[in-house]
Amino acid sequence: MSVLSVEGLSVSYRVPGGRLQAVRDVSLSVGRGEVLGIMGESGCGKSTLAAAMIGLLPQGAEVAAGAIRLNGTDMLRLPGEEQRRLRGQRIAMVFQDPMTAFNPVLTIGRQLADFVGAHGGGKGAAEIAGMLERVGIPDPGRCLGRYPHELSGGMRQRVAIAAALLMQPDVLIADEPTTALDVTMEAQIIHLLRDLRTSFDGAIVVVTHHLGVIAELCDRVAVMYAGEVVEEAGVDALFHDPRHPYTRALLSCDPAVVMPGSGHLPTIGGRIPDLTALPAGCAFAARCGMAEAGCGAPVPRHRGAGRSVLCHRSAA
Amino acid sequence: MSAVLELSRMSVALPLGGFLSRARLPILMDVSLSVGRGESVALVGESGSGKTTLARAVMGLQAVSGGSIALDGQAVEGAAGHARLRRDAAMMFQDATASLSPRLTVGYLVTEPFRIHGVALPDPEGMARELLAKVGLPPAMARRYPHELSGGQARRVGVARALALKPRLVIADEPTAGLDVSVQAEVLNLMADLRAEMGLAYLIITHNLALVRHVADRVVVLYLGRVVEEGPTAQVFAAPAHPYTASLIAAEPRPDPRQRRMDLAIRGEVPSVLRRPSGCEFHTRCPMAREMCRTTAPTLAPIGAGRQARCHFADQNKDQQGEQHAVEHR
Repeated sequence: MSVLSVEGLSVSYRVPGGRLQAVRDVSLSVGRGEVLGIMGESGCGKSTLAAAMIGLLPQGAEVAAGAIRLNGTDMLRLPGEEQRRLRGQRIAMVFQDPMTAFNPVLTIGRQLADFVGAHGGGKGAAEIAGMLERVGIPDPGRCLGRYPHELSGGMRQRVAIAAALLMQPDVLIADEPTTALDVTMEAQIIHLLRDLRTSFDGAIVVVTHHLGVIAELCDRVAVMYAGEVVEEAGVDALFHDPRHPYTRALLSCDPAVVMPGSGHLPTIGGRIPDLTALPAGCAFAARCGMAEAGCGAPVPRHRGAGRSVLCHRSAA
Repeated sequence: MSAVLELSRMSVALPLGGFLSRARLPILMDVSLSVGRGESVALVGESGSGKTTLARAVMGLQAVSGGSIALDGQAVEGAAGHARLRRDAAMMFQDATASLSPRLTVGYLVTEPFRIHGVALPDPEGMARELLAKVGLPPAMARRYPHELSGGQARRVGVARALALKPRLVIADEPTAGLDVSVQAEVLNLMADLRAEMGLAYLIITHNLALVRHVADRVVVLYLGRVVEEGPTAQVFAAPAHPYTASLIAAEPRPDPRQRRMDLAIRGEVPSVLRRPSGCEFHTRCPMAREMCRTTAPTLAPIGAGRQARCHFADQNKDQQGEQHAVEHR
């Protein structure tokens, strides 16, 4: 059974001149011990989706439709206070730059203790140190006495993950967890999250634009474009048998997959459509090499074994 | 023919603080590097390796404590020397949007280098159009402000500005950081086209190895402010001679779930420059360190045509890694 499921979620922002439809009719679910990747380029709605999951939508955002179920309970239907409490205890988030998540004038130990206290954990220093050790911090006792700026980016990200896990959440959402790190630290954080998948009995959602991180870490992947999930599949199927033209285009232009010396890198011409005035039918049609007249009609979602594709011209 | 940029045994040391204290902390040590005409050289290493300090020292934004810099064979000395260098070499910054003044239009921004260097510009609007066209932006863009640009567009404006004074060398600090994959490819294609059209040379500072593979002819690897390996990109990637280079390559996430790495290529973090390890400075993280590595510092030594490495076992590593690479790609 899935721990977290999103059903038909639509989120829009009020902007001068209309409504920006950031997330459109998204349905996804993630189970215990599973890592779900949400992949897409800037402006595709992945961060809005993550914010909606954890209940941190900015001012001006409005959930137009849909449900977000945590262990079966639709959190959007709960009264504000209860919703906050439930999310605070059961869903944790790790951000791109962990520096912004910490208070610069308090020690790591003090912040972790406060943090655990606020969520009703009442855990002792030994438990906190134990968690730091589990996320690979070499000298946990010393780390507790340090200030955030005294730690490297990789260490801060480990502390952020430890803080999240101290709550024993059901879901851990990581938004671009390695983007601010060096390649060596990135590899270490990927390994840590992979280890946690087996040792921590919850679901992990990774939001990133980095194809390498998705391939190294995720079990299942949802590809977003212009606010919609255009393809969802197991990680192997997605990388080795992509069906949606956007997924295919995206995979083919990653400099990491193209052989060097092959001249120009492929690109995706054009830009994402204006989300305040979306075209009828397929949102990718204007940039798609396979588009034809029929693509202006409402797009069917094809479902097959373990995957779904939102396209007129490709089958699941 | 002399190189466009030549650094010989350049060192940078920062004052260690303390009033009247003469103590200095070495950040870059004896770095020699050359970029030939039309050549593209990548400088790689983790944060704290000294990459950005090197770029700042070249541009005259950071005082050097030893060694020399030459541009087209002429020594760059003093403020006048650096002013000449800043005219002939242009810098592309990491955060493209932040490097553009928010209150100036794109048209003004791309022609600003002429004003800064006091070069006469009879037709600023025409020049703005020409520069924008060169980086693939429509002329109407000249009236926009930086906040109205996407990340890729801001990067293009940064390139247009860098090209204004027809430089021979562009120093690019993480030119694709923070860009989406499709936009990344566009920027790399643009850099390649400009190189072919204008004979530009590049010094690219990055930790993105995919980028290095695509755009660099040669690669220089820094660790704790020292060059640990240097050579033609294809050869270094196929058969790295320094274990640090090999670990960097192995740590790169691969966009293929069938090639997941189950072991960690490199553990731990870059040591602090305040406590440099004895012997080989990489021995604390090196998977193949032996007794002599803890006590004896290796020198940067040639290992075949155009290649150098700072490791006691460089030749062995190169041959082993080369064989492994051949097996994987058979």
